[in-house]
Amino acid sequence: MKLFNRPNGGRGPNQVILNLCLASPALLCLFVPHAKFHVGLVNPPEKTFTQVVQPFLREYCVKCHGSVHPRSGLNLEALPTNFRDAGIAAKWADVVTVMNGHQMPPASAKQPPAAEAGRVIDWISSQLASAEVAKRSAHVVLRRLNRAEYNNTIRDLVGVDFHPADQFPEDPPAGGFDNIGQALTVSPMQIELYYKAANQILDRALVEGPRPPTIKWHFEPRQNTEGMDRLRVKRDGQDILLNSGANPIQNGFTMVHHDSWDKVIEFRGFKVPSEGEYIIRFRAAGRTPSRIEVADSAEKILKQRFDEAVKANPAGKRYAQEALDSDLLHFKTHRAYDYGPPRIRVVQHLGSAPLTVAEMDIEAKETDPKVYEVPAHFTTQDAGVEIHYAYDIPKYLENFWLQGKDEFARPTLLFDWVELEGPMHPVWPSASHKQLLGDVKEPVTNEGLAVRKVLKRFMPLAFRRPVSPAEIEEKVALFSKHRGEASTFTEALKIPLSAVLASPNFLYLVEQQPSESSSQLLSGYELASRLSYFFWSSMPDEELLSIAAKGKLQDSGVLIAQMNRMLASPKCDSFIKNFVDQWLGLRKVGANPPAMSLYPDYDRHLETSIVGETEGFFKEILQKDLDARDLIKSDFVTVNERLARFYGIPRVRGDAIRVVRVPPSVHRGGLLTQASILTTTSNGTRTSPVTRGVWVLRTLLGSDPGLPIANVGEIPSKVPGIDRATVRVRLQIHRQNPSCARCHDKIDPLGFALENYNACGEWREREGHGYQGRIEADDPLIDAASTMPDGTAIRGIEGLQDQLLKKQNSFFNTLASQLATYAMGRQLGFSDHTMLVNAVSNMKQHGNTLRSLIGSIITSPQFRSR
Amino acid sequence: MQNSNPSTLSRRTVLRGIGACVALPFLEAMLPARAWASESHYKPWPKSSVKPTPRVIFCYIPNGVNILDWVPQKAGKGSNTSPSLDVLKAHREHFSVLSGLGHPHSTGGHSGADTWLTGADLTSVPGKDYTNSISADQYIAEKIGLQTRFPSIEIGDMSGTGSALHSHTLAFDRNGTPLPTENSPLRLFERLFVPDDLNSRAATLKRFAQKRSILDDIAGDASHLMKKLGSADKAKLNEYLASVRETELRVQRQVGWIDVPKPKVASKDLQLESQPINAHDRPAWLDVMLELSYLAFITDTTRVITFEWSREAGGFGGGGENHHELSHHGGDPTMLAKLAGVDRFHLKALDRFLTFLASTQEGERTMLDHTMIMFGSGMNNGLTGDHSPKNLPLLLAGGGAWGLKHNQHLAHDPDKAPPLSNVLLTLIQKMGVETDRFQDAKGTLTGLA
Repeated sequence: MKLFNRPNGGRGPNQVILNLCLASPALLCLFVPHAKFHVGLVNPPEKTFTQVVQPFLREYCVKCHGSVHPRSGLNLEALPTNFRDAGIAAKWADVVTVMNGHQMPPASAKQPPAAEAGRVIDWISSQLASAEVAKRSAHVVLRRLNRAEYNNTIRDLVGVDFHPADQFPEDPPAGGFDNIGQALTVSPMQIELYYKAANQILDRALVEGPRPPTIKWHFEPRQNTEGMDRLRVKRDGQDILLNSGANPIQNGFTMVHHDSWDKVIEFRGFKVPSEGEYIIRFRAAGRTPSRIEVADSAEKILKQRFDEAVKANPAGKRYAQEALDSDLLHFKTHRAYDYGPPRIRVVQHLGSAPLTVAEMDIEAKETDPKVYEVPAHFTTQDAGVEIHYAYDIPKYLENFWLQGKDEFARPTLLFDWVELEGPMHPVWPSASHKQLLGDVKEPVTNEGLAVRKVLKRFMPLAFRRPVSPAEIEEKVALFSKHRGEASTFTEALKIPLSAVLASPNFLYLVEQQPSESSSQLLSGYELASRLSYFFWSSMPDEELLSIAAKGKLQDSGVLIAQMNRMLASPKCDSFIKNFVDQWLGLRKVGANPPAMSLYPDYDRHLETSIVGETEGFFKEILQKDLDARDLIKSDFVTVNERLARFYGIPRVRGDAIRVVRVPPSVHRGGLLTQASILTTTSNGTRTSPVTRGVWVLRTLLGSDPGLPIANVGEIPSKVPGIDRATVRVRLQIHRQNPSCARCHDKIDPLGFALENYNACGEWREREGHGYQGRIEADDPLIDAASTMPDGTAIRGIEGLQDQLLKKQNSFFNTLASQLATYAMGRQLGFSDHTMLVNAVSNMKQHGNTLRSLIGSIITSPQFRSR
Repeated sequence: MQNSNPSTLSRRTVLRGIGACVALPFLEAMLPARAWASESHYKPWPKSSVKPTPRVIFCYIPNGVNILDWVPQKAGKGSNTSPSLDVLKAHREHFSVLSGLGHPHSTGGHSGADTWLTGADLTSVPGKDYTNSISADQYIAEKIGLQTRFPSIEIGDMSGTGSALHSHTLAFDRNGTPLPTENSPLRLFERLFVPDDLNSRAATLKRFAQKRSILDDIAGDASHLMKKLGSADKAKLNEYLASVRETELRVQRQVGWIDVPKPKVASKDLQLESQPINAHDRPAWLDVMLELSYLAFITDTTRVITFEWSREAGGFGGGGENHHELSHHGGDPTMLAKLAGVDRFHLKALDRFLTFLASTQEGERTMLDHTMIMFGSGMNNGLTGDHSPKNLPLLLAGGGAWGLKHNQHLAHDPDKAPPLSNVLLTLIQKMGVETDRFQDAKGTLTGLA
């Protein structure tokens, strides 16, 4: 069944339907492209069936698909309307598919008017959607920890934080989220990986023997006066290659001016004595040229080029002069030269694989260099450490050829020395070792007692509930069975501990079937896990477990107090990241990035910054109890220096995301103005108004515009007879077919309103048709105004934001159903309707804050029950 | 350090997060390598001492090809020529071009690698946004995989599994779970050919024994837990229990290989340090991964390989060209010409691999006659830069000894074509698996065998 097929893996129909239950009819006519889900709920389905669908089928279909010799065995005269029956539903779904694809009725037969066909498709679709929701269980299905939850839980349980779950396959989402029990499957391959991860975790967490000797190697790259691959230095008997790159030395600093294969500072060809956590420490500063220095340096280079050009071809002087003037103007005015501090990337080599372990601005001034530290895990493989220059100046036509010239003023790294120290063990045995061993004294004298002590402490935490003596004894048996083969107590201890970490009691959030079937309320421990996996994507902490043990957690006041405590914890960042990234589709950032040649501003620093912006924006609204309507339109942005430069917001310094008030003239404020959303709804080379319109409908208004006709193809890049046709014009030609227009009339205006933002999220007044997408003086102006089918005019981003604010109920309902889905780990059904109504109404009584909305969700009977 | 981001948990997580960025698309491509790999000097072996047996490798290229330069003008015998395919002219007697085929359930865009070997309808299961099914290679490996040390090998330029609709692997197991790929030539070489150290036999046996105990123990946990759960939860837990049981069986099989030494292969001239995501290294990386595939076959270390040459919406040409960008050519002749250049770069790498196989004697014939190669893309960017799943660029080479017919162009009307699964079923059968069903196959592909 293709009904819910979304090109971008969107949300299931639950949210759509629930929203429409709540929405007013007036609202529907504006923003719901198909009234399809609505129909099934408001009109008796039978009536539409007998009055609209049956006559249509009789007119256009039953000649071939009737009771007499039905073609392909499909008899539409007798096909029942019991959509809950999977077989019947599948047949109806086929009808939608072939009608949408214009395969039926065949071209040789009588064709129905598009509007009539549309009504029939709408009705069938709505019935299919309702049936699917009705089939949903109102109970949470046994949830397996997903990758983020596994990583965080290991961090909190064992005290080692190296993201072991990153090697697991991606978790399958449902309803747009990857924490939905029903969808989280397990394969033999995952059992292998759980076993492997458990071993890795315990090998890191438990230590043996005396504290390993540490190394502390200090390198002064400037000692390599020849620059590259010439200097071997001895450290602890190893001949280490120290490379300062072809970088000049000034005042004792190695000066790195740009990124190039011969500008890398590194030391390599060594092996650390023992595996563990090391610190890469270095002293550095940055020099950030002013605009005047940039223009001066560029002018010198440009003049030189000009002189050479004139000398070679005196007749072309006029053109050379024009080029000189326009290039100079570029360097004097373009925002790219409001430089930030130099940026570096620290790359670690282990074996053959390079890994970027840090990427950061060097904000220290030349007068006050700072010592920076980067932690990295080293194994005893062949290793190397590289310091790369990582400040990107976008490569425009005017500057790409002079970027690498040393005379050109750009942020410059001043590098003093670098050290490698480790393995770092502030205490010995390590903290994780002590955490696991608890108060067991080493060397262990009574092993039987010791292993029981360890398991008695560890298992209740790992299983997030009290553990019976029998359960402990089973794991002790595992220890005893293999103790003889193991050379030490610690080695043998790893066996029962890895069994705990691979046990279903650890890997699943178990909610037991209550013995007396009357109450579906969760036990205190189960509720503690629901809360902690909602707010922290991790296990409950001591406080939660102790409240659970006292049986107080089902109390609403206690729940709210715990919510406030948990939202204030730094661990709450996991909720923001996991919820926001999935709700808004931020995980797609970078999957299909703007093409470098067309959008030179888009680099990795910008890419990480735009995700930080949207997460920081949600966090600000949540933590500061702002009105949730700020998500639609705000008078502030959350940006860092890199992003501020991109948006044209002056005077923001530093790499940290912070709140900045902005005037309307910068056209920023609200999710729809953020580059993360604007790039992921473009296709890498151009904007995609359809994708943007669909994003607005689905993500903000919870309405599903329905199925696009399969494989209609790209819009053409050129239109014969129209010079420089804009994306908008080409799209309009593309959908002249009336059956396309049926949906697109309701989608496209929302996307057109965002046409002032290009495919990488930059503001523009014209659509560029010049070389590599550059905007020429007479390129077509952006037309961001259009009219919805009901006559509502929408003009540009401001117009769209105003219309969305008028639909705030739809927006709140969407937000509520998204949060509830994520909170409970299951898709919503009809029985969740009341919860959403209450939550939204509570929110409205409390200043539209996210906190009040979340508070209603966690105190609802649904959240507290199985 | 001063990289402070207020929305992060700790400096440690900031750095981890950044470290994880290493898989991000394009900038790492510009990471300068100390020494760029050069042209490979590795030579094929003159002779294989393996008893002739069917093998298969599936080679995937993303983003489609310049279809104008690719599809032969004429159909039928002797028509496997076109401006692009002429790169393979030395092997004309050993490959067929298939045109017009596609997976009916595939939805286009950049999800082609997800379904290339599975043919799945990814949205077929209500309540799940994405469901895949077993891929042809795993279907084969399930049946014949026990005969070699590795039932199958998965290679890809990104490593890991990628994400739904942007798969970094072509292989999916019986439950539709993606199987992670390897992208490091060095690690792959170590896994295939570097012997475990001499003392390890006892240690390995000990490890397996412990693993079996643990598997047994967690299966026990699951059985206890089962009694306390409602019915929907029981069904979930049964997935887990079945997977544990299957893993136990696999451990038993692995024990059987402990006393069989790994084949001896010298690493001389293999550029094992090549990096896939470095545009300059890319040609050498493709070569060395195909060399390792060749070595895995000639040593009978595996008989089934999947190799995603580049992820969808990624990839490079031989000179570092942005493959994805060129696939949005919009019919522009300049971009189409560059795209054809990328296609020919890929075909040259394939040509070299076919030459390796063809120049190695194996029994009465050559390795090429015993090895089946499926090469193509899950996307067709058509005449205007579409991202269509219909009429996919596809060719099959080798396997003459098993009855694959070559030196032909099997052309189909895209709107009436049999499903691509028919080709997969043909290969499955030629690999010696007795079945007449795979996914939506309606039979084997007419004219191919």
